[in-house]
Amino acid sequence: MRHRILLVGLAAILLTGVGAVFGLQQGVSPNADTAQASGTPAPAAQAPADQLAGAIARAQEHLRAVPGDYVAWAALGSAYIERARVTADPTYYPKAEGALRRSLSLRPTGNPAALVGLGALANARHEFATARDLARRALRIDPYSADAYGVLADAQTQLGNPPAATDAIQHMLDLRPGLAAYARASYDLEQEGRLGDAAALMRRALGDAVDPADIAFCRYQLGELAWRSGRLDDAEAEYTAGQAADPGYLPLLAGQARVAAARGQTAAALAGYAELTARYPSPGYLMEYANLLRATGQPTRADEQLALAAAALRLFQANGGTDDLGVAQLALAQGHSRQAVVAARGEWSRRHFADVADTLGWALHQSGANAEAFSYAQQAAALGARNCGYLFHLGMIELSLGRNVDARRDLSAALALNPHFSPLDAPVATAALNRLGSR
Amino acid sequence: MRRLVSLGLVALGAIGIALALPARPALAQPAHPAHPLGNFTVNQAVGLDLYPDRVAVTAIVDLAELPTLQERSAVDANGDGKVSAAESAAYNTRVCGAMAGAVALRMNGHRVQWSVRPAGFEYRPGSAGLHTSRISCAFDAAADLTRPAIVDLVNGYRADRIGWREITAAGHGVHIVNPSVPARSVSDSLRSYPTDLLGSPLDQRSARLQVELGDGPSAGATIHLSRGDPVSRWVAEADRTLERLVGGRLTPLVGALAVLLALALGAAHAALPGHGKTVMAAYIAGRRGRPRDALTVGAIVTLTHTGGVLVLGLLLTASASLAGEVVLSWLGVASGVLVAAVGVAMLLGVHHRRASVYDHHHGHPHDHDHDHSHSRPSREARRLSLVGMGIAGGLVPSPSALIVLLGAVGLGRTAFGVLLVAAYGVGMAATLTAAGLVLVRVRDRWTSRPCRTVARLTALAPTGTAALVLCVGLGLAGRAALGVVH
Repeated sequence: MRHRILLVGLAAILLTGVGAVFGLQQGVSPNADTAQASGTPAPAAQAPADQLAGAIARAQEHLRAVPGDYVAWAALGSAYIERARVTADPTYYPKAEGALRRSLSLRPTGNPAALVGLGALANARHEFATARDLARRALRIDPYSADAYGVLADAQTQLGNPPAATDAIQHMLDLRPGLAAYARASYDLEQEGRLGDAAALMRRALGDAVDPADIAFCRYQLGELAWRSGRLDDAEAEYTAGQAADPGYLPLLAGQARVAAARGQTAAALAGYAELTARYPSPGYLMEYANLLRATGQPTRADEQLALAAAALRLFQANGGTDDLGVAQLALAQGHSRQAVVAARGEWSRRHFADVADTLGWALHQSGANAEAFSYAQQAAALGARNCGYLFHLGMIELSLGRNVDARRDLSAALALNPHFSPLDAPVATAALNRLGSR
Repeated sequence: MRRLVSLGLVALGAIGIALALPARPALAQPAHPAHPLGNFTVNQAVGLDLYPDRVAVTAIVDLAELPTLQERSAVDANGDGKVSAAESAAYNTRVCGAMAGAVALRMNGHRVQWSVRPAGFEYRPGSAGLHTSRISCAFDAAADLTRPAIVDLVNGYRADRIGWREITAAGHGVHIVNPSVPARSVSDSLRSYPTDLLGSPLDQRSARLQVELGDGPSAGATIHLSRGDPVSRWVAEADRTLERLVGGRLTPLVGALAVLLALALGAAHAALPGHGKTVMAAYIAGRRGRPRDALTVGAIVTLTHTGGVLVLGLLLTASASLAGEVVLSWLGVASGVLVAAVGVAMLLGVHHRRASVYDHHHGHPHDHDHDHSHSRPSREARRLSLVGMGIAGGLVPSPSALIVLLGAVGLGRTAFGVLLVAAYGVGMAATLTAAGLVLVRVRDRWTSRPCRTVARLTALAPTGTAALVLCVGLGLAGRAALGVVH
């Protein structure tokens, strides 16, 4: 009898397992197991858009039947964030917040998955301090959550705290080596100026990637690394490969437009930016587009794009968001340097990120405060290594301070790194170097 | 999935500029809330009206704040900063012309030519002092729908833009057979978008409709729930009660009540048709089973069902990519195949016994595993068949047990959920065992009376039962397989 019972139990588990395997959708990542092991829900890992849609539909169906399942609510919220990212459609952010808050209200304590989801959402909304605190709270409950370390690493990076970011990434690498950890580690290495190592790590991440969206992401990052060292052909090859994997990944369009502009294929570059900004009118892309329009002698159309960027920023603020870095960059592009200084100072008081230092320094330079500008430009260069834009700004500020030797060194370095780094600024740098050389 | 989320954030950091400016729920209530679907959506509604002699489309485009601003220079053609009535009409005509070119309607494969009429364009107040746009168009084409036709509608207008896309279809004097799209707009023609947390924005880009003459109830995709027989209704009601009990405040009394209800539900579940229970009872009777066999099958059913629900529940909570219905369908297939296999084994056994009775001296190839009675299969085979039957009976988890378990897990009452699931299993086993015992009794009553017809029938019974078991098994597997394919 005992044998019989044992047999029955084994057979039942086996058969149920077989059924479950059939029920699983194809393309489940090997990492799903580790995600489960770390005590977090493993929603359809790395699904391309339609699979993700399926996972969302199933989670919705499940929650209609079992509205009390806080784990499923947290997973659905994270799936919505992911959906927003894949489709660049922010409609899903309020839904994500609703789902994550529901999860948290169903289980206010001991619910790290919901906290991690809310942290990821805060990062997406540029509320980096909130994201950091949420990640820390999640880690107090579950110290082995690689996802929480991921949120923490992103927040610390943006808050200008590189050692803390590196530490979080190291934890993530130890807990769950994989695409997410490699990609972050690659970014970290890039910040230290180790572009070769960063590319090698990103290639490892690419080797790990299965889904089209993941492959496109890795290809884009590899393209950016090539672009930042001025290797146009390599950059273009990566962007093209990325687009072959997932034509819907929009940053690739920006990359291709930049390469086309650098090659002097202005018409193609402008068409690329027009398509990109029509599909995704973010202030960043609109400002890049305006730069290129201005560089090609179309100031009216450039101003139109800047007006659009201003509207986009206004909408963001009307909805309760804060992005003073964007405001400062827009004010600079429009030539309002004093406004830019005020906005950039506000952002700097919240976070000491390299981009903020760079923008503040440049705004100060534009409004004539070169001595103060110099200290911020130096900080930017120290915080974020080997960035053409930072080096150009530093060099120009040094030039106006009469530090010609330093200026020549930094401007040359910017052009040596990537002679095409900006359609507007690169010619300025070349002209300045020529003047320095002739003196 | 999380990895991607985080990757996206790395991307944001790496780009270093404000790449994503998501809409967020208003903290301070602005004068006009942001567009509910995000500031840069292009939303479309295509309403199809079918008449016996023509087809008509009412198309609405709702542009959120940023697309409206992007189109501003197209609207204000002379660039004077004002939109005149003429400019507005010209823009409306242009948009409708472009949309008519992209909204393709094919009647039996032939594309109709629209006559286009612009039907309105207005700005509406949006967030941050900006505007949203609402553009209306009417398309019309002659068509002969007095004969049955297949109508294909594809909306390819601004296909790469993010936004809500809906299609509705209504028949007037014609009837749409099983419409795949609703007759009425769920968003009130893009005026109020549903805000349900569990609903995704619509993205309906095409529809295929089968149209025939006649004023049928073409009221769109409405679902008719059959109320079912009184037993099903009672079971459904009890299901809901149990789910409420699991979710509510847990006192000892409520707990005990829930367990009792689970027992009753399990018993009722087994009594409802569709799980091959009858065949199991017939098997016990046909195999000259003893009361003990009925008890064994009952115990195995309980164990299998409880184990199955627990394992499936575990898998479902661990992974959202697992489709519960698909798993259930596959388990149904497995259960049917198992029953069929037992049927085959029984048939072989019957044949085998016949062969051994009549052809023993011919040296039949099956000689080697004859047991001595020649009228019963080996104990081992019997036992295996019983176990197989029991597993088949308990393999397909009762969906309501599964829901009760998941609900309990979701509320942090895992142990209570497991207890209830076990009670379900016991209830199911009780019904099955009782049915088996009754049949054994009835059979004994019959065979104890010496009667020629009955004796002949009893002689035929093993083959009949075996065939029945096989057929039912195949039937169950086939039906479940349909669910998988579907």
